[in-house]
Amino acid sequence: MSVSAIRRLILTGLLIAIGIALSVANPTFLTMDNLMTLLQEASLTGIVAIGFTLILITAGIDMSIGAVIAITSMICVNFISYTQLPAYIYIPIALAIGCVIGAVNGLFITHFKLPEFIVTLATRGILAGLALIIAVKDEQGFVKNVFIEDPLFLSLGETIGPVYIVTIVFFVLAFLTQFFLKRTRAGTNVYATGANPTASRLSGINTDRTLIGVYMFSGFCAALASIFLAARMMTAMPEFGIGSEMDVIASVVIGGTPFTGGVGDIWGTVIGTLFLALIKNGILKLGLSPYIQPIVIGGIIVVVVVVDVWYKAFAEKKATQAAHRKAMQSKEGA
Amino acid sequence: MSTNGKNDLLLECRGIDKNYNGPQVLSGVDFSLRRGEIHALVGENGAGKSTLIKIVTGITNRNAGTIVFDGHSIPIEHSKNASEKLGIAVIYQELSLIHGMTVAQNIFLTKEPLMSGLPFIDIKKMNAMAQAMIEKYGFDLKATDIIDKLPIAQRQTVEILKALSNKASLMIMDEPTSSLTATESERLFKIIRMLKSEGITVVYISHRMEEVYDLSDRVTVLRDGKLVSVIEGEAITPAEIIRLMIGRELTEDESHHKMVNKKDREAVLEVQDLRSEGKLNGISFKLHKGEVLGFGGLVGSGRTELMRAIYGIDPFDSGSIKYLGQPYRPSVEKSIAGGFGFVPEERRLQGIMGAISITGNIGIPNLDSISTGFGFVSDTKELELSNQAIDLLKVKPANPDVLVGTLSGGNQQKVVVGKWLIRNLKLLIIDEPTVGIDIGAKEEMYQTIERLSQEGVAVIVISSDLPELTRLSDRIIVLRKGRIIKEFTEGVVTEEEVLRAASGIVDGGAK
Repeated sequence: MSVSAIRRLILTGLLIAIGIALSVANPTFLTMDNLMTLLQEASLTGIVAIGFTLILITAGIDMSIGAVIAITSMICVNFISYTQLPAYIYIPIALAIGCVIGAVNGLFITHFKLPEFIVTLATRGILAGLALIIAVKDEQGFVKNVFIEDPLFLSLGETIGPVYIVTIVFFVLAFLTQFFLKRTRAGTNVYATGANPTASRLSGINTDRTLIGVYMFSGFCAALASIFLAARMMTAMPEFGIGSEMDVIASVVIGGTPFTGGVGDIWGTVIGTLFLALIKNGILKLGLSPYIQPIVIGGIIVVVVVVDVWYKAFAEKKATQAAHRKAMQSKEGA
Repeated sequence: MSTNGKNDLLLECRGIDKNYNGPQVLSGVDFSLRRGEIHALVGENGAGKSTLIKIVTGITNRNAGTIVFDGHSIPIEHSKNASEKLGIAVIYQELSLIHGMTVAQNIFLTKEPLMSGLPFIDIKKMNAMAQAMIEKYGFDLKATDIIDKLPIAQRQTVEILKALSNKASLMIMDEPTSSLTATESERLFKIIRMLKSEGITVVYISHRMEEVYDLSDRVTVLRDGKLVSVIEGEAITPAEIIRLMIGRELTEDESHHKMVNKKDREAVLEVQDLRSEGKLNGISFKLHKGEVLGFGGLVGSGRTELMRAIYGIDPFDSGSIKYLGQPYRPSVEKSIAGGFGFVPEERRLQGIMGAISITGNIGIPNLDSISTGFGFVSDTKELELSNQAIDLLKVKPANPDVLVGTLSGGNQQKVVVGKWLIRNLKLLIIDEPTVGIDIGAKEEMYQTIERLSQEGVAVIVISSDLPELTRLSDRIIVLRKGRIIKEFTEGVVTEEEVLRAASGIVDGGAK
């Protein structure tokens, strides 16, 4: 079995073990209500994490995802307050704007050859500020709480059966993206671009187009999450999404996609997202202070990365020893 | 094959000019290839080989001249994709495969077979197609092997398969043997001859004259951006090629070297039964003052691992080391302070800091002598040291502010060696001293090593380049599977003897 398959198995085992421990510790954990809420939480982070996984596979980073969530929700609020347009008009517009922001990020990264971190950090700042500026204000200039009344928009926060729509969307998007990555040429190009951009270009891959596409997808995913977040809260605030990078990055890293590029997949991210949501839910269910959440998440990231690095070195050592033994045997046999 | 039939020519370049906004890199170069020939392109670094290849493959555009490939006239505005479509493939010096992907994925990258009528990759079909190609050519590979796990020689065969899958009629190989062992090189030559028998034209670029001599049907020699000569048949001899390349003949003294016994001198380094699991199986040897001790053996025989252990980079399990008569437990810091110098195998990865100036590169291991107390570095002292090293080794350009990454391979290597020469050096370990550097710089490197040995510095040279090893060494130790399998101490050692020992053929039988 491959290293990544073993890793995934261990993580899934841990997920189940923690789940069992929580259900013993607190009977309200294993209720349909709590589990569905947990999945809903996980799905909001997870949708963004799917886009972010592609970014990491190309060895990039997108710091603007949180700010894309904020600006998208403020765009919706503006449509609601100043136009009579229905949600099925302005939601696609908001999603398209997410893509455009991603395209701008991608253009600066490919065309002007700027570092991904700097470009997306700059757009993050600009978008977060813009979100506050375009937020709908009252007479005193304070940000006004605009309520969503469009029934279609609100229905996005509902459930089908016991399952929230956002959860269904998350799993469908995960499935489609995984299929795209593994079974299409464009998906192969994403891996190739991240593993070795020079070799990719020499093989005829348009790495610029691949990168722009990936940043657009990341922007789209953030905008999509923003819509579902607003639908769930029945309102939108300019602080939406700001700071959510931490959870997204944690989910992807726990899922086993490294920062070095060329490696990773969506199933890992799905498990990582569920794992993180479970931990956060567990902290609440154990009655611990919510303030320790970021500390625990930070700690988990460190542990996961340390174990990954340690295990990788261990596996490589095993492999060289095996190769050595094999070489000895074949030489002696000859 | 007739020499004057126009139809025999696969490629014909005439009067190629190229300048990169200033310096003229190529002037009026003619270069032609016949169908199904192995054609060597030789010249010192900077002679214009790479530029010529880049023009043919469409990576850069020429300023003037005509190119006809397979009956198609190639326009000035040419592109890599266009040349690939015509059937021109390059097997890159720095391998261009995608890590983490399988052999089949690499072969069919961007042209993966799709399920009929759908935009989805047919993985089964792709693997089967790759496996069929592998078997057709008798390569030792599996379509589903992950590239990362293959040795370099096998990765190269994947590159060749990738080119074959593109229906290449011209394959350009740039220094294909630079990181292969002797056996692996032999296997590559067999593949090249097989390609030739299929009617594929191979352009072969190499610094190793023996290979050029063995393989080529014709040789084009470039010097300073101009065509010197095209030779073929009987006229191809290593000496002749070298004469054409550098414009002078190497003397007998330069190409042959006798062993010198220096065992009665004071021992600098004594290694006793060094062991490290899976790498070293009990190695003992002594190194004396002013001695050049050569280490031969195949890649993976433990040569590099032994030196890393002695220098203190990797720990070892058991055994002892004495340095200047004192027991020595190596660490890099102690080694540097004690007068060791270490020139690693992979210049770009381990030797230079490309984004830093010559001065910076030279200053780093010499911080002890350029700091002024309280940990501050004296720019004046640093510059002084760097100028000293530049003068000593004739680094070009002799400008201490130049970034090392922009220098040629030979000059980069001079910087790596130079940073040790300005210290009170007692022991220098050089792993592959001249890989990827041109003949002129090679000769200077040899002279530097000889001068150091005369000054009493003990030198360890590891080299896969056998003429280099026999030329430089006063004594040669050959390693195999982490053990010393043979030691040559006197007379003139032939390359064949070293190679036989390295391959485990000792006294007639395999070991």
